[in-house]
Amino acid sequence: MGSFVDDILADVKATNPTEPEFHQAVHEVLESLEPVLEQRPEYRRYKIVERMVEPERVIMFRVPWVDDSGAVQVNRGFRIEMNSAIGPYKGGLRFHPSVNLGILKFLAFEQVFKNALTTLPMGGGKGGSDFDPKGKSDIEVMRFCQSFMSELCRHIGPNTDVPAGDIGVGGREIGFLFGQYKRLRNEFTGVLTGKGLNWGGSLIRPEATGYGSVYFAAEMAATRGETLENKVCLVSGSGNVAQFTAEKILQLGGKVVTLSDSSGSIYDETGIDGEKLEFVKELKNARRGRIKEYAEKYPEAVYSVENPDDDHNPLWDHPADCAFPSATQNEINGKDAANLLAGGVWLVCEGANMPTTLDGVDAFINAGILFAPGKAANAGGVATSGLEMSQNSMRIMWSRDEVDSKLHGIMREIHRACQTTSKQFGVPGNYVLGANIAGFIKVADAMIDQGVV
Amino acid sequence: MRQIFPDHERRPGDVRGSFQDLMQWRVRRVLLVSSLYDSFMFAEDRLADALVLGEFLGVELSTLPEIHRVSTGSEALDEVKRRPSYDLVISSTRVGEMHAQELARGLREAGIEVPIIMLAYHERELKDFIRAHGLSDIDRAFLFQGDIQLFLAIVKWAEDLMNIQHDVDTMGVQVILVIEDNIRYYSYFLPVIYTAVLQNTASLVPDGINLAHKLLRVKARPKIVLASDYEHAWDYFQTYEANILGVISDVDFPKDGELCADAGVQFAREVLQRHSDVPVVLDSGRRENAALAEATGTSFLHKYSPTLLQELSRFMGRNFGFGPFVFRMPDGTEVARARDLRQLERALHTVPAESIWNHAEHNDFSTWLKAHTEFDIAYRFRPLKISQFDGAESLRRFVIDAIRTHREERRRGAVADFEAGRFNPERSFARIGGGALGGKARGLAFARRLLKDFGEDRFENVRLAVPPSVIIGTDVFDEFLDANDLRDFALRAEDDDEIEARFESAPFPLRIQRDLRSYLELVHYPLAIRSSSLLEDAKYQPFAGVYQTLMIANNHADVDVRLPRLIRAVKRVYASTFAQRAKRYVSATTYRLEGEKMAVIVQRVVGALHGERFYPELAGVALSQNFYPVHPVKAEDGLAAVALGLGEEVASGGICLRFSPRHPDRLLQMSSAGDALRNSQREFFALSVGKTGRARQGEIERYDLSVAEEDGTLAVVGSTYSPENDVIYDSLSRPGTRLVTFAPILKHGLFPLAPILSDLLELGTYGAGGPVEIEFAVNLSTPPGTPKQFGFLQFRPVVPALDPGGADINGYESGQLVCQSGSVLGSGRLDDIHDLVVVDSDAFERSQSRVVAAQIAAFNARLCAAETSYVLVGVGRWGSADPLLGIPVSWDQISGARVIVEAGFRDMAVSPSQGTHFFQNLVANDVGYFTVNPEAGEGLVDWEWLRGCPAKDETPFVRHVRLDMPVTVLMNGTRHEGVILKPGVARST
Repeated sequence: MGSFVDDILADVKATNPTEPEFHQAVHEVLESLEPVLEQRPEYRRYKIVERMVEPERVIMFRVPWVDDSGAVQVNRGFRIEMNSAIGPYKGGLRFHPSVNLGILKFLAFEQVFKNALTTLPMGGGKGGSDFDPKGKSDIEVMRFCQSFMSELCRHIGPNTDVPAGDIGVGGREIGFLFGQYKRLRNEFTGVLTGKGLNWGGSLIRPEATGYGSVYFAAEMAATRGETLENKVCLVSGSGNVAQFTAEKILQLGGKVVTLSDSSGSIYDETGIDGEKLEFVKELKNARRGRIKEYAEKYPEAVYSVENPDDDHNPLWDHPADCAFPSATQNEINGKDAANLLAGGVWLVCEGANMPTTLDGVDAFINAGILFAPGKAANAGGVATSGLEMSQNSMRIMWSRDEVDSKLHGIMREIHRACQTTSKQFGVPGNYVLGANIAGFIKVADAMIDQGVV
Repeated sequence: MRQIFPDHERRPGDVRGSFQDLMQWRVRRVLLVSSLYDSFMFAEDRLADALVLGEFLGVELSTLPEIHRVSTGSEALDEVKRRPSYDLVISSTRVGEMHAQELARGLREAGIEVPIIMLAYHERELKDFIRAHGLSDIDRAFLFQGDIQLFLAIVKWAEDLMNIQHDVDTMGVQVILVIEDNIRYYSYFLPVIYTAVLQNTASLVPDGINLAHKLLRVKARPKIVLASDYEHAWDYFQTYEANILGVISDVDFPKDGELCADAGVQFAREVLQRHSDVPVVLDSGRRENAALAEATGTSFLHKYSPTLLQELSRFMGRNFGFGPFVFRMPDGTEVARARDLRQLERALHTVPAESIWNHAEHNDFSTWLKAHTEFDIAYRFRPLKISQFDGAESLRRFVIDAIRTHREERRRGAVADFEAGRFNPERSFARIGGGALGGKARGLAFARRLLKDFGEDRFENVRLAVPPSVIIGTDVFDEFLDANDLRDFALRAEDDDEIEARFESAPFPLRIQRDLRSYLELVHYPLAIRSSSLLEDAKYQPFAGVYQTLMIANNHADVDVRLPRLIRAVKRVYASTFAQRAKRYVSATTYRLEGEKMAVIVQRVVGALHGERFYPELAGVALSQNFYPVHPVKAEDGLAAVALGLGEEVASGGICLRFSPRHPDRLLQMSSAGDALRNSQREFFALSVGKTGRARQGEIERYDLSVAEEDGTLAVVGSTYSPENDVIYDSLSRPGTRLVTFAPILKHGLFPLAPILSDLLELGTYGAGGPVEIEFAVNLSTPPGTPKQFGFLQFRPVVPALDPGGADINGYESGQLVCQSGSVLGSGRLDDIHDLVVVDSDAFERSQSRVVAAQIAAFNARLCAAETSYVLVGVGRWGSADPLLGIPVSWDQISGARVIVEAGFRDMAVSPSQGTHFFQNLVANDVGYFTVNPEAGEGLVDWEWLRGCPAKDETPFVRHVRLDMPVTVLMNGTRHEGVILKPGVARST
């Protein structure tokens, strides 16, 4: 098998010699897929992997625009339509000077599996431009977006390709892009996600990742006959993900005892109840203050200053049942993992992107605890994009509860897919492997069904 | 034994005749070649006063110099061709398109024979000039260090130079020989010597002596000659040997073309051998030379003594012997003194009519007025004949009316004396007490002048103004210190609390208290009490932030409650002159604390009352030059930093919004919602003016943005972030997170801030002849129907960039580099630095940044003591107020660094702080400044190489490396690029 993967990699490098980021992504995915490629020889026969690494379509175009001084500027626009086996291409647009073909192919390739894992009908794509919104006026950003969409509009559509935002593309840019699409195509349709709430956007977007991760955790717990009720939970971070993770844990009867920000963390043994959580929301969302103030307001809490030179994070030192790393990358290293295990933690659910280092992940898997990788556990964000598409197609807007309940259903499905897959491949309960493979299988099978296209 | 006034005895009756004989060559017309700002500074800081002081003491009222200013060298050349009657030319180093040497050459070619002086404003500027151009065509170079008395010294020195031979020959006047080769030092020393000579000359004349005799004696004051090497000194000594009154000599200066360590001692021995009664004083920066002086039989002065002026004055009083001018009746009887126009007017009401008549007959009024730069009124008086008046009383009425009218006219544009009856609490700008206004107040006076020219109502519905203020002149500071005997104590005391306590308990001059009381009866708004010292904010002298600024609520109904609070605040500002921070700061510069004097600005706080808080909607600073422009913004487009509330947020390096006034739409900090959430203000400062007697009343406090929203002030500067939509909306009309973005003003034109700043910076740059910084505050909460207020709080020129272009930095391999950056401030080449002080990126711990700062300070102190410059390399933002963002050093803790490298943390890029006082210090002291973010691919620091260099000394976080061969620093000021090359790498170009 090694030589099969090596051969494909060699081919990828030979045909895409200037795209090191893409090589890396293909390498990582293929490595994790070795067991499935061994078990499913038809994937090799139909050259599924070889087809997957080649985008269905790459659109590269000129984006000329006029800056505020009247000078003409030219940027390069891209859309990688990577795979539409299970649905229209779906993936973000990134505006950043570092954007190039290799980076976008890498992101589009990963997006295919991420989207498939949500169980929603979404293919994978990615796009963007080397345009740098930093230091540009609103009007310049608008002119750029309009020029970008003037070309892109002929390649996308609600049933073809539905871009979303990414780095450098927030609500403002989505608005400008949508406006230009609507004007050129003369249709109000769900061609982009991330739209404003009063013109086609969906509710629950800020909550989705946090809620989704707790739903996933609850499903995992259930496999061991447990619920989150009365479970002591460590949550890191205090942004959107952490706040709504804590909120959902409270709703499910759990007890949250920690939160953090870049300056330090608080430990409240008595539990962060609904009132305290409201204070945190006000503190972080309205006042943009420091979590330290929590300890000033609630003396029962202990504040620890963040020390980036410490070899471990004290937040993970407390005795608990569950941990929800929801702050940032690499916030749980090997030592933190050991501390968590020593503290009695039996469930770790990643709300952030890759918060656990590789040795941390190994420690959890070796210890046999329930570990949900971010790829699966934080798919709530991607899922709501899918739900936005669905609402647009049906021309309705679901209520908050409706979206929440659909999100719950999706997370349950993701969990089921991961669990089933891991079982199928002989490592029951290994959600890492399950998540890596489940998305791939879904796409691969669809590709086989649809013939060689 | 030599006689001091031999000719006086010889021609006792011919007083007028001898008066005419002496000082025949006078500086009557000075051509000043400098920017408008310089000229204004001189006028407002009483250049003329300084000269008048000299003339007053010398009682030479008939020959006050007129100063004519031009901005450029070519204008100067045209001017002397048109009117060749100038007696002295004073030029800045660079005057428009040419430099001072070229101008001097041109003047000589045009046949101008008068002394040509070059005046530099910064020691490095002077050194660079000498290195590049020499001083061959210039008679003398001087360095302006904030003391306006330098002009008195320059004029007197020029006059002495031209008259000495004649005056010695005809009347045998005495000569003081000064030997000093260091320009900075003689620029400080010469005014001190002249002041001491003039004071002593005046004080020696006994009361009651006949005026004519007094004139003669004072007129015959000693002449001062300045030599900068042994040979010239000896030449002077031999020429005036019989008339040498004393010698004031440096210890080391050139002899036979080479610097000689004991030239002064040798010279003193030679002198004493020939005339053992000639007093000689040796001055030196090294205390150990005191013993050498004693052994030689001379007195000794320590150059860096904090009380040098007093010591020198005492020395001259004891050894040279001299005398005061008093205003008198024709028969010599004093009837009144008038030091300024206000006192003159007051005296005119009471003095006998015959005295007025007598002065009018001698044209004394117009002469005196001219001396006070009151040229308009002086020229109005001059053509009048006394016969036109039918009697002395009619003359008295005329003079009083003319002066009063003139003062009213002057009040609008310049700094009038405070008078309760005439002070308009909404507009006036007046002074209380004599002396200088200080740097900050001078800048403000200049700003008023600029605004007057510019048009205060140029923008619709906006009033641009310097807030109404009174300036307490430096004389009050002197009087307060002297009357309470505080000066020596304060200069030596090491405990700031003790200084403050002594100052607060010392009585304040009653006369000033009365004026301040009258002032407070007129004003009931909050007041800022701001320092305005001689050195502070003067051109090139970045003392900003060293001294204290206080605010008081000033809202108590009883003036007797408010007055002590105001006086206490003034005393606290005085005390801050001598705070350890200021002492450290001054010692880190080329200035001397003894020469420092403090004026105080009492100024209306711009803002409005919101609940129990008083604050403006926004305050900030603007620089005409942006040192880190991001395309398409250009350096000359300027940079502003603004914050909601009082300016403390900006000055303390808090979160504020930076933008280019020419590109207000381009807000780097707000490029994305995430950026905006991270980089927008979270709190604001306001003056608490709540219930009187409350503990925090009158304090500057921090408030949450929600308070501003309730106050209604956030609406004009705020936006809203919607987490649901991931968008920032430019108003507060939707629910979400409130952000201070200034969008309503900068994007939607609610108030023309950007155009105002843009115009003011352009105007200021024109006025100052170079880049400027302004500080401002805007009050939009004005009563309906009244214009919004733009308060101009400070104006000062900043150091212009060095020669454009700079070094060639290309063609080096990365292995040859210690550091490379595409974000460099500074220009030129340095290849004499052997020392590096390095905060290692791996060893550094953010939580320890205060400890690191202290360790750096210790290294800095040692290197400064050894007069060794070094390159400082570290991580995070230098001088950061937030210890988590960088190393919180103050300027005096890194004062010896010639180049500073600021590298990003591993997990966070640094963005350079601009416009803050710390940054300004770097600029003004011409420190190279490299910003490097290797993690983000912006530049490099070869940490491995640095770690491999053996440490001379090290602490857990900081290493001092001394290299056998120097590193080479190359900075291209035009492209903002630079490299530091490893030893031995540099090309010899």
